[in-house]
Amino acid sequence: MKILHLYHDIMNLYGDYANISALKRILEHSGEEVTVDRISLGGSAVFSEYDFIYIGSGTEKNQKTVLKDLEKYKDQLREYISADKPVLMTGNSFEMLGHMITDGSRVNYEGLDLYDFTTVEEKGKRFTDDIICKADFLEQPLVGFINKSSKVFNIRQRLFTTEFGLGDNDEGGYEGIHDHNFFGTHLTGPILMKNPHFLIYLAAIILGREPDTTHLEYERRGYKITLDKLSERAAK
Amino acid sequence: MKKLLTIIICKLLRAVGKLIGKGSSMPGQIALKLCPDILNRIELPEHIIAITGSNGKTSTVEMIAHILTENGKTVAWNREGSNQIEGVTTMILSNATLSGRVKSDILLIESDERYAKKTFSYIKVTDYVITNLYRDQLTRNGHSEFVFDAIADSIQPDTRLILNADDPLVSVFGHERDNVVWFGADELSTDTKELSSVYNDGAYCPICKAPMEYTTHHYNHIGIYSCTKCGYHRQDTDYTVTAVDLNKGEIEINGRYKITLALKSLYNIYNILAAFTVASLVGIDGSKTAASMNDYVLKNGRVINFRLGSRRGTLLTSKHENSISYDHSIRVARACEDGADVLIIVDAVSRKYFTSDVSWLWDIDFEMLDDPNIHEIILAGAYVNDLAVRFSYTDIPGDKIHLFEDISEAAGYLNSGRSEYIYAITCFSDKDKFLSEVEVR
Repeated sequence: MKILHLYHDIMNLYGDYANISALKRILEHSGEEVTVDRISLGGSAVFSEYDFIYIGSGTEKNQKTVLKDLEKYKDQLREYISADKPVLMTGNSFEMLGHMITDGSRVNYEGLDLYDFTTVEEKGKRFTDDIICKADFLEQPLVGFINKSSKVFNIRQRLFTTEFGLGDNDEGGYEGIHDHNFFGTHLTGPILMKNPHFLIYLAAIILGREPDTTHLEYERRGYKITLDKLSERAAK
Repeated sequence: MKKLLTIIICKLLRAVGKLIGKGSSMPGQIALKLCPDILNRIELPEHIIAITGSNGKTSTVEMIAHILTENGKTVAWNREGSNQIEGVTTMILSNATLSGRVKSDILLIESDERYAKKTFSYIKVTDYVITNLYRDQLTRNGHSEFVFDAIADSIQPDTRLILNADDPLVSVFGHERDNVVWFGADELSTDTKELSSVYNDGAYCPICKAPMEYTTHHYNHIGIYSCTKCGYHRQDTDYTVTAVDLNKGEIEINGRYKITLALKSLYNIYNILAAFTVASLVGIDGSKTAASMNDYVLKNGRVINFRLGSRRGTLLTSKHENSISYDHSIRVARACEDGADVLIIVDAVSRKYFTSDVSWLWDIDFEMLDDPNIHEIILAGAYVNDLAVRFSYTDIPGDKIHLFEDISEAAGYLNSGRSEYIYAITCFSDKDKFLSEVEVR
C-alpha cells in the first residue's frame, strides 16, 4: 500500500507525523507492505497512485505558503475525494480546501474552493482547548486538543459534534468537515495515536477489510485515561 | 500621595506574602489596580535589561544577577521568577524607596514572552536579550511564530537587542536593524552535520519560506544556517562560544575566556553566553565574568542531586510540552559513560492549567535513548500508557523499558538491586512527587 504524506516538513506542528506512523503500523500488522512518500513544497505527486493522503497542521504563515503550492493539486484532490479515497487533514490544513481564508490583517487568500466554507483568522488570538467530540460513524467519542487562531463558518458536511470544548466557531456544537472519506478536523497532533478506534476505522477504509488491532493495548488504555480526565472536567 | 500609598501597600503585601509563602504576583496586581500607571511614576535606573524567549530566561537572569553582584553592582531583579506585569511590578515597587526611586545600578527583568508588550509599555528597556524560540507549551502559546509576533510588539525602537544568532527564528528580530549585539557558537566538536531532531523548525526561511541550509547543527534548529533564496543568514557574532570540551566540562568564550561547567553538557551554554554578553556590555571584564561563572551551580533548583537507597542520581527538571528541553536532558543522560538508568515521569502535563494533551511527546527525540550508555528506562505517571506508545515507536528493545502508573512504585523498583546512576527527567509539575521518594543531597 502507498501513503502520501504531503508537506511533512512544513505542516508538522504538533507531532502530526505520528498519524502516519500509527497508520503504517496497523496496516503492516494487517499483513500489508506499506511505503510512505513524503512530498513537500515544489514537489509533484500523482494522487491516484496512493491509498491514503495526509496533511498536518502548520503556522498561519506556513499554511499560506502551502496553499499556493497546493493549487496545482486542486483537480486531483477533487477527483480523489469523489472516488471515495481516504484523506485526513488535521489542524488548519483543511481550511485550504474552503472558499476563502481571511488572515488577521484582513488579507484574503482564495482557497481551493472544493467546499464553500470560509475561515477567518483573528490577529493576536489563540483559541486552545481540550476536546471531547462524537462522530456518527464511531461508537466511542474522540479526545484531542484544538490550537488555532481561526474560526470556520458554514461547513455543511459535518464531521464531529462537540461534547466538551471548542468547535468550528463561537456557535459551537460542531467541529470539522466530512465528505465521502475526506476527514478534516482542527484536532491537532497525533489524533490517530490518541483515538485508536478512529485509527481502526480509517485503516478499515484503506484496507477494505477489518484490520488487525491486537497491538493497540497501550493506545486503548491511554485513550481511556484521557477520556476519563476530560469527562471529569466536563462534568464540573 | 497615591504613589506613596501604592508603594507602601505593595511592600506590606509582599512582606506578609513572604511570611505565609504566597507568590509574588498578587501585591503587584493590587498596586496596578490602585494606580494603573504606577510604573510610569517610578524613577528607574539608567540600565534596564530585559530577558525573554522560550527557554533559559530564569537561569540566564540568575547568572547575570550573580555576575553583576559579585563584581560590585547592585541589581534589582525578579528572583522569584514571576515574569508577567504583576510580578514585575511587585519586584520594582519592593525595590523602590518611599519616594519612588529604584536605587540599584541595574534593573534586570525576566519577562514572559507572550505578555512582554504589556510590561514594556511602561518601562523603557535599554537592553533586550532574546534567548530562543522553541516549541514551548503549545497548548497555551500556539506556536513559535505566534510568540514571535507577541515579542515583536514589545520591542521599542531605541532598545539595543541582544540576540541569539544561532536561532534563525530569533535572528529575524535583528533583520535590517542596526543596534543589535549577536551572540552564538562557532562550529563545535559536539555539532552534527545532519539535523538530530524529530522535527525541523529551521527547514524553511522565516523571512521568505524558501528552504534553508545548515553548515552545522549545534542542536535541533540551532546552528549555522542560510536561506537558499533571499540571502537571510546567520550573523557574525560579537560574543562567541569558540570551543567546548564536554569531557573536561569546559567552554571557551571569544577564544580566551575558559569557563568550567557544573553540568557537563550543552544544557546551559547559551545561558552562560548570554550572561557573559550582558556582563561585558555593562562593563565587567571577561576574566572576572569567567571567574564568577566557573562551576556555577544554579540556585533555581532545576538540577537536583539525590540518593535513592544506595543509588545516586540527578533530577533534570525539564519542561513538559517543550521537546528541546527534554532533548537536552536526554543528551545529558546519554553522555553517562558508566551507564545510567533513566526515569521519565508524566503525571500532570501542566502545573498552571489543565490539559491532557500529549502531542508534545511525539516531538521529543526519545530515539537518542537507544544507546549502550542507557541501561534501563522507567516510565511513570498517569500518562504512562502514552509514554509506552511513544517508546514503542523507537528502536529501544522492549525489555529495557519498565512501566509504572504509580510514581512510588517506580521509585521502589529503582531502589532494588541495581547500582547504575539514575537520571530522573520530569517537569516542575511532577518533580516533587519524585523528590518526596528520595533523599535530596
